[in-house]
Amino acid sequence: MALKGADILKKLPKTNCKECGFPTCFAFAMKIATGGAKVDDCPHISPQSKAELEAELSPPIKLVTIGTGANALVIGEEEVMFRHEKTFFHEPGIAILISDKEAEAEIDQKLKKITGFDFERIGQKLKVNLLALSYESGDKAKYEALVKKVLETTQMALVLISCDTDVLFSAAALCADRKPLVYPIGKENLSAAIPRLKELKVPAGVYGKGLDELIEVASALRDAGIGEMVLDSGPKNMLEGVRDNTLIRRSALKKGFRPLGYPTIAFPCFMYKDKLKESLAAAAFMTKYAGIIVLSQPDEHFLLPLLIYRFNIYSDPRRPMTVEEKVYEVSNPDENSPILITTNYALDFFIVSGAIEEAGLPAYLCIKNTEGLGVLASWTSGKFNGEAIAEFFAKYGVEKKVKHRKLIIPGVAKKLKEELEEDLPGWEIVLGPNEASDIPKFLSEEWKQ
Amino acid sequence: MSFEPPLEKYSVKIREVAWGHGEKIVRTGGENALPFHYFEGALPNLAGLALEVVDIEPENWAPELIEQYRDVVSSPAKWAKKCVDVYGANAICLRLLSTDPLGRNASPQEAAATAKTVADSIDVPLIVWGTGDEEKDTQVLTEVARVCAGKNLLLGPVLKQNYAEIAKAAMDHGHGIVAQASMDANLTKELNIALCKFFPADKIVVDPTSSALGYGLEFTFSIIERIKQFGLADRDNMMLMPILADVGVECWRAKEAKANRDQGILWEAISGLSFLLAGANILILRHPDSLRVLKEMITEC
Amino acid sequence: MILIGEELNVMSKTIGQGIKDRDAGPIRECIAEQVKNKMDYLDLNVGPVKKDPVGTMEWLVKTVQEITDIPLCLDTTNVAAMEAGLKICKKKPILNSASGSQESRQTMMPLAAKYPCSLVLSVINDSGLPSDAEERAASIMDSVAYANDIGIASEDIWVDPVMMPVSVDQRQVAAYMEFVQMLPDIVPGAKSLCGLSNLSFGVPKELRGLLNRTFLVMLDRIGQHSAIVSGYDEELSTLMNGGLPGIVKLIHRTMDAEDIDVSSLSEKERQYVKTAEVLMGRSLFSSSWLEV
Repeated sequence: MALKGADILKKLPKTNCKECGFPTCFAFAMKIATGGAKVDDCPHISPQSKAELEAELSPPIKLVTIGTGANALVIGEEEVMFRHEKTFFHEPGIAILISDKEAEAEIDQKLKKITGFDFERIGQKLKVNLLALSYESGDKAKYEALVKKVLETTQMALVLISCDTDVLFSAAALCADRKPLVYPIGKENLSAAIPRLKELKVPAGVYGKGLDELIEVASALRDAGIGEMVLDSGPKNMLEGVRDNTLIRRSALKKGFRPLGYPTIAFPCFMYKDKLKESLAAAAFMTKYAGIIVLSQPDEHFLLPLLIYRFNIYSDPRRPMTVEEKVYEVSNPDENSPILITTNYALDFFIVSGAIEEAGLPAYLCIKNTEGLGVLASWTSGKFNGEAIAEFFAKYGVEKKVKHRKLIIPGVAKKLKEELEEDLPGWEIVLGPNEASDIPKFLSEEWKQ
Repeated sequence: MSFEPPLEKYSVKIREVAWGHGEKIVRTGGENALPFHYFEGALPNLAGLALEVVDIEPENWAPELIEQYRDVVSSPAKWAKKCVDVYGANAICLRLLSTDPLGRNASPQEAAATAKTVADSIDVPLIVWGTGDEEKDTQVLTEVARVCAGKNLLLGPVLKQNYAEIAKAAMDHGHGIVAQASMDANLTKELNIALCKFFPADKIVVDPTSSALGYGLEFTFSIIERIKQFGLADRDNMMLMPILADVGVECWRAKEAKANRDQGILWEAISGLSFLLAGANILILRHPDSLRVLKEMITEC
Repeated sequence: MILIGEELNVMSKTIGQGIKDRDAGPIRECIAEQVKNKMDYLDLNVGPVKKDPVGTMEWLVKTVQEITDIPLCLDTTNVAAMEAGLKICKKKPILNSASGSQESRQTMMPLAAKYPCSLVLSVINDSGLPSDAEERAASIMDSVAYANDIGIASEDIWVDPVMMPVSVDQRQVAAYMEFVQMLPDIVPGAKSLCGLSNLSFGVPKELRGLLNRTFLVMLDRIGQHSAIVSGYDEELSTLMNGGLPGIVKLIHRTMDAEDIDVSSLSEKERQYVKTAEVLMGRSLFSSSWLEV
């Protein structure tokens, strides 16, 4: 529920005095709405209106940062219930749980695996963001040793989990400068926790058994001046988690209810022993608003689908996904292999490259940068016409890659064929199938050297 | 000051489509709330989870997947029975790949005979799916409709190009249809308007076209959410049909799904769960473990 | 409202051929028809011509100016061709168009400071097309401020909010109208321009005119200054020149959500009312909107 220009205008003097640098108060209001101006710039707004406006302008869901530097996880400041209304802004952090009860060797192995992960999709890194360190041994020194070891091994952001408040904050003191999330802060340890939170300035992982208790605790923390919080209403399974997260986000966005105006944390690791179910619950929480999701172990086969899922749901529906412009080699082509060309719209790329792989025929797939526009749209705007493709050929030395001179173009681009016959003299332009799914058939039947 | 949870109530509900016959008839849709929002409305029918059976020996399937059906792949009827008896499917989708004109090009009569055999060998409801070839599917599905009269199948995909004939046959022989439009809410609505001129609205399920995790999932996800919103929130009469997601076939095509057992199952299960969360009322799945784990999780109290 | 006829377009088969062959015949016919429909300006769209864009523009401008006195709207993304055209226009032309992108500011916009013309300025900037009213406003305010700085008066600027097809995103139609109405408050003095035909892109051909005409009447009511329209649409011209006041009134009443007894209307009137309803966003658009 980002404030609209018309709503901001209500609190402005409406004199159009121009002293803010804009021609009218309405113009000024529109600029404030997009962050291009500050309420402060108006010399005549009343102090009360200013305070009210600034409160209203502050995002309904607080921005919270866990960790520091390049490894910081930033969550919150979401604006919508459905990604199609605008977009989801800050993708949730994935945390892997390590308990201080585990054997040293196991812990070392886990750490090695996690820090060695290198997942990528269309040129973007998919990160495992946090380590959640859980105090279960009953031995304070052991827990602190774990924390210290982790601090030395990696710069990843941390969640410290301990039901013993003293142990929790001793550990936090060891790494306060790395802004770990400390969990749980609940009804029982509220008064002990507040001064420590203020002293160490670390974000609070707030626990309440159900929404009413959560609101009580969060409100108390707010009143005590604690700024950054992440909420947990203690749902016992996936469906309860979906319910709670939905109600929390609705309260924040639609009712402006501040005690629930924070990102949430979900613990599928504690809800399910079955790894498949844990992953599914994690996916559900990613879909439904969680800010941090804690998993029990770093198995790449369970992680990859989740990382890609997060990438998909948090992609901005307003901007087409694109892949890098280049000549892709599918299944080791050689100088006799077919050449196909299409746009760099990510979906087209996946479908076409997937179809070629399915065909089992090695081929070159030329991907031309069209800023994510599809075949017809990019042809119309001059990004995928004869001239542009001829330039691409020259830039990437396509002629040198093969002995033949045949280029397969998307079947829908009939006008392009004529253009290319002029702009790529010496090349035979072959109209491929209209649908990428027909590529395997096309290649196996039509591609004859 | 006690907290009033912000509940949202809708004044309309998704149409309830009944398919199958006898005791095992399945009702789909009928909800007046968003997916799994039991806390603010009524969702009388659980999602229909169908397992897929094909009528030719599968080519290029992941080894993990073939493993589940190795003993029955040469007989669609046996395959369907195994899905129900061993794997607990409460619906089956028979995909008539044999009729692909660019493949074996089996005749409508052959295909219909297979469909009848499968329908007779199970008591759970049956979806019969063509290959997407407009002309061939028209011949095949109308023949299936005739030969399987009284089974109350769901026939699909029904397209803008061939809905008139297939829907008529479905109507004449007592079946429902799955109307498919390509990832576009406006086209979905348009096809529904055209159909509802003569076809009963409560025997239509819509398919906005599925995609797999990593291969366009977010497009399907958002389109399903939007269709649900147009129906429940905007009360658009032509968008109140239940939604189907044909998710197994898309997911198991991905190279990542073929690479590892758990990864493959998650590829399918996560895609399926995603669409359920968006508003899908029926999923067509391939791996029995995807079905099992989804079923268990959506029936937790 | 100022109407700019869009039919002199290189993408059209006959005109494209005429331009290629340097044959004034088809050009002449096209102009005659648009003149009949009372177009105030003629858009010369040499858009994706790759061969000799400068020569093409020069030839086209000269040829058109030999046939008619109606002022011109030069429509090309090629800066050299635009300049060549601006140089030889006899009457103050429209420069269609510049945007808020860095490139446009450096290359296309300065032409409007150099040559007397009206400048069409779109809300597009380096981040692409803004997605809501606030972002459009911020973008156009920045662009107009820049234009003012390099000597282009707001009064010579015609803002183009960029029309999206109703079948792609229906919500944008209401956002478009909202934006047109706020222009006097955010860029006082500047005018507005609409590329109307884009509204109905993707809709079956025979229904496009109805959508376009209805929206044009709606825009006229809220103070739209100019639009690029089909120069062949006789009914559009009649509507906009006061020849169908009953229809115009019906559209206004639909905009005001008045209760209209559709059974008392003629078929044509009913269609306009239904179209206005769908454009007001009262129901989800589909190409069968007339049948519901």
